[in-house]
Amino acid sequence: MDRAWYWKAGLIVAITLLAIYALVPSVTYFRLPAGERNEASVFERARPKWAPARHLNLGLDLQGGIHLVMGVEVDRAVREKAVRRAEELAAEMERKDVKGADVRGDPDTGIVTVTVPDVSKAKDVIAEYNDMYVRKSSGNAIELAMKDDAVKQLKESAVDQAVKAIRNRVDKWGVSEPTIAKRGDASILVQLPGYSNPEKAKELIGKTAQLEFRIVDDTDTSLTQLKDLPPGITLDWDRYTGAGDATVSSPFLRSKDRALLEQYIKDKAPKDHMFAIGRIEERAKGEAVYRTYLLDRRQGLTGEYITDARVAFDQSPGEGNRPYVQLTFNKTGADLFGKLTKDNVKKRMAIVLDDTVDSAPIIQSEIPGGVCSIHLGGLKPINEILQEAKDLALVLKSGALPAPVRILEERSVGASLGPELIRRGSMAALVGLLAVLAFMAFYYRFSGVIADIALVLNGLVVLAIMAAIDSTLTLPGIAGFVLTLGMAVDANVLINERIREELKSGKNIGAAVKTGYEKVFWTIFDGHVTALVAGFVIRAYGSGPVRGFATTLIIGLLASMFTSIVVTRTVVEWFVGHGRLHKAVSF
Amino acid sequence: MEMRYFELIKPGTNHDFVRYRGIAVTISIILNVLVLLGAFVWPKLNYGVDFAGGTELQIHFKKPVDVGELRSEVDKLGFGEPTVQRYGAESENQFLVRVERIALLTKEKADAVKADVQQSMPSMTSMRFDPEVGDKLDFSFKQPVNEDALRAAVEKAGAQVKEIRPLMAREGQDREYTVITQGPGDKIGSALRARYGLDQVDIVRTEYVGPQVGKQLRIDGILAVLYAMAMILVYVGFRFDFRFSPGVVIALIHDAIITLGFFLISRHEFNLTSVTVILTVVGYSVNDTIVVYDRIRENAKRYKGKPLRDLINLSINEMLGRTILTSGATALSLLGLLLYGVGTIWDFAAAMLVGIISGTYSTWYIASPMTIWLEEHMAQRKAMEAAKPKPKKPDTPQTAAAR
Repeated sequence: MDRAWYWKAGLIVAITLLAIYALVPSVTYFRLPAGERNEASVFERARPKWAPARHLNLGLDLQGGIHLVMGVEVDRAVREKAVRRAEELAAEMERKDVKGADVRGDPDTGIVTVTVPDVSKAKDVIAEYNDMYVRKSSGNAIELAMKDDAVKQLKESAVDQAVKAIRNRVDKWGVSEPTIAKRGDASILVQLPGYSNPEKAKELIGKTAQLEFRIVDDTDTSLTQLKDLPPGITLDWDRYTGAGDATVSSPFLRSKDRALLEQYIKDKAPKDHMFAIGRIEERAKGEAVYRTYLLDRRQGLTGEYITDARVAFDQSPGEGNRPYVQLTFNKTGADLFGKLTKDNVKKRMAIVLDDTVDSAPIIQSEIPGGVCSIHLGGLKPINEILQEAKDLALVLKSGALPAPVRILEERSVGASLGPELIRRGSMAALVGLLAVLAFMAFYYRFSGVIADIALVLNGLVVLAIMAAIDSTLTLPGIAGFVLTLGMAVDANVLINERIREELKSGKNIGAAVKTGYEKVFWTIFDGHVTALVAGFVIRAYGSGPVRGFATTLIIGLLASMFTSIVVTRTVVEWFVGHGRLHKAVSF
Repeated sequence: MEMRYFELIKPGTNHDFVRYRGIAVTISIILNVLVLLGAFVWPKLNYGVDFAGGTELQIHFKKPVDVGELRSEVDKLGFGEPTVQRYGAESENQFLVRVERIALLTKEKADAVKADVQQSMPSMTSMRFDPEVGDKLDFSFKQPVNEDALRAAVEKAGAQVKEIRPLMAREGQDREYTVITQGPGDKIGSALRARYGLDQVDIVRTEYVGPQVGKQLRIDGILAVLYAMAMILVYVGFRFDFRFSPGVVIALIHDAIITLGFFLISRHEFNLTSVTVILTVVGYSVNDTIVVYDRIRENAKRYKGKPLRDLINLSINEMLGRTILTSGATALSLLGLLLYGVGTIWDFAAAMLVGIISGTYSTWYIASPMTIWLEEHMAQRKAMEAAKPKPKKPDTPQTAAAR
C-alpha cells in the first residue's frame, strides 16, 4: 500500500460521505406526504438543520402538472415599435420646423413612410433616429424601417418582458419549483409541477400585466405594535434620507414564505392603506425573500399612460455614466404624474406590477413634462445598477406594451397518475439493478461483488449530484439512470475479462491487475466519451423529460468513470496487497 | 493451476466471421433499405403528437371500454383520421386518442363570425384570424366591451368559445380581445363524457403541439442524430485511425436504422423519446466496436505481417465473450423497464434492446468487413497505379488482402 493508495481510499470515503450528506434532504422530502412536501414551509420544518437545502424534485410526469410553451409575438412588438417611432418622428419634425411633413407607420408591415417637400432637412432629423435606416428614398417619399440590431434587441426585450411578467404571476400563486425559461426561439417554457388546472394557468399567464404607481407611507409605524410575529416572519427597517435631509426609518416585515406573509398581513393595514408584497432577490444566497410595503390607497396612477421606458445614462460630470430609467407618459399621464410627484417629493413611490412591488425609488423632485427619470442604487456598483435599471425598464414596459403571447405546446399530466408511475419507475430501477448485481456476483464471484459495491456507489453519487444541482427526476430520467448502471458495469466486465486473460498468459496476480486496468482504461474511456457525445446532443436537442434523460445519462457516465475504474481498482489493490485474492476464484 | 471460473466463450474459439461478411452485408443492406422505405414512403412511422402536431389525449375509463367502439365515437366527431390505441395493460382501461390538428375554424367560418360580430357590436374595428393557428380570433374594438356580450356574439355565429382574454392597450388605441375557440381536446372530452357518463371518463393528460413546432422538432431530430454521428466519427478518427472511421459510421447508421425499424414494425408511437433512444443507441453501440478495434490495434503490433483479414477475425474471436457479456449486462439492466415500464418507457427499453443487439451484430459483421473492404480497395488502387506504365490485370481482392 503506497501513499497514493491511501489518498485514493480517502477520496472514495469522502465522496461516499458527501453523497450521503447531499441525499439527506431528499430522503426527508420523499418521506413527507405527497400533498404537503411541496409546501416550502413544511419542508423547511422537516429538514434537519445541518443538511443542505436542495433535494431531488419529481418531474411533471411523476407528480402531475402543466407544461406550456408560449410563443411571444415578437414581430408584432417590432411593428408596434415602428408605429410609435413614427409618432415621435412626426412630433420631432414639427419641433424642428420641417414644413409639411407627413409621417405614417404601417402597423401591418412596420414600415414608416415620410412624405415631405424638403427631403434633405427631413433626412437630418431622421439621422438622429439611429435605430432606423432609410429603406428607400424616391422623390418626396422616404421609407424607413427598424435596423436589424434594433429589431434583434427589441425582440429579445419583448421575450424578457414576457418572462418577467409570467414569473411575477406564477410567483404570486405560490406554485412550488416552477420553471420559467426563455428558449432560443422567442418562446418561453413554463412548467408548473403539481398545478392541475391548465385553463386557469393559461388565463393567468395570458393576461397582460397590470402596472401601478403608488406612494409608500413611511410615517406609519403600526407594524411595530404587532406582538408575537409568527415564526418565519421578522420585522426590519428601511432607512433613507427624506425631506429636509432627515433620516426616515420605516418598519416592514420580511419572510421567505410569501403565502405566510400575505396571510398574516391581510386586514392589518390602517384605513385608506394597503399592504403589498415585494420580492427581494438575495443574489448571494440565490433565494427569494419577500417583504411588505405599506401603500397609500388614496393616490396613485396606473401604467396605461406610459408610452415607453428605457435605460439611459447620466452624462453629467461626476456622475460617471450612471444608468437610470427614462419613462415617457402621454399627455394625460404627464399631468397626473406631475401632480403625484409634486405632492410627494422625498417620499418613496412604489412601482407595482400585478400587485407585487417591483421597486420603490425615492422621488427627488417634481416630475413635470411627461418624461420621468428613475434613478436607482445609491452606492452599488455600476453593473448592478445597470441590471436593476434594465429590469425596471422591462417591468414598466410590460405594463405599457403587451407583446401578445400564444400557446404553442401544452401538456398536462393528472396528479392521479403520479404515484403509480413512481411505483413502477422504482420497481423498474430496482429490478434492473438487482439483475445486474446478481449477474456480476454470479459470473465474477469476488471481483463481481467488488464491482457491485462500486455500482451501488455509482447510483448513490448520481442521485446526490442530481439533488445538489437541483435537477428533476422524470420517468425518462429513471430510464437513463438504469441504463447507466448497465453501462457502468460494462467497464468492469472489460476489466475483469482482461485480468483473466493476463492471468492465463502466466502473469502473477499483482501484475495482471495492473496490466488489466492500464490496458483497458483507454477502451473504457473511448466508450464513455462516445456515449457522452450522444448525451450532450440529446440535451441540446430535447426539451422537458428528454433533457432529464440526458442529464442523468451524462452524470451517470461521469460517475461511472470514477466508480468502475478508480473505486474497484482501489478495493482490488487492497486485497492484492494483503494477499487475499486467490486468482482462480477471484476473477 | 486449473482455471475454475465461468466462461461463456471457451478460449480458442475460432468462428470465421469475416467469411460471412458478404451475406451479412447483403442482408443488412436489404433490411436497411426496407426500413427506410417503410419509414418514409409507405406505411410510414406512426408519428406521435410531438412530430405530427395535433392533439393527444390520454383517457382513463372507470369501466372496460371496447377499442372499436371508442374509435367510432371519436370518428363521429370528424377529425380526419383519429388514432385510438390502448395504453398499458388491458385491465387499466387507458387509451391514447390522437387527432390531427385540423383548424376548427375555417377561413370562411372565421369571416362569417367577423361579419356577425361586426353587426351586433358596431364598435368593432378589426378581426384577425390565422388559419395556421386555427382556434384564435383577435378582435379590436374602439372601446372596452362586455366580455359576455362578445362571447354571446361569437357563439351566436356558431363557434364554441373556450375563453376570452382581454389585452390591455395604450390609451387612445383600440381595445383588444383574444377569443379562443374550443379545441379538439375539449370536443372529444365532452363527447365521450356525454356517451359514457360524466364520472366515467378521466382525461389524464392532454398534449397539443402546433403543426410548425412538430415540423421543426422533426428536422431537429434528424439533425441531432447526424450531429452525434459526425462527432463520434471525428472522435474515432482522432483516437484510432481514419481508416477505422468509415466502418464505425456505417455500423452506427445501420444500428440507428434497425432501431428505427422497431418503431416501424411494432407500429408504436415515434416521438421525442424515440429519437432519444436512437441517439443513445448511436452513443452506445460504438462501445463494442471500440473494444474490437482496440484489440485489432494491439494484435497488429503483436503479429506484424499478419493479413488484416486474419487480424480482424482473431480479434473478434478473442473479444467474443466480452462483446456478448457487456451487451448482455446492459440488456439485463433494461429488464426492470421491460417488466414495469408502460407506454413510452417500455418502448424506450424495447427499442434500446433492439439497438444493443444490432450494435453487437454490426460490430462483427458490418464495421470490420467495411474496414477490410476499404483496405482492399486502397490496395487495389495502389496496385493499379503501380501497374499503369505496363498495362496488366489488377490484383484480385483476395491477393491484395493477403499481402
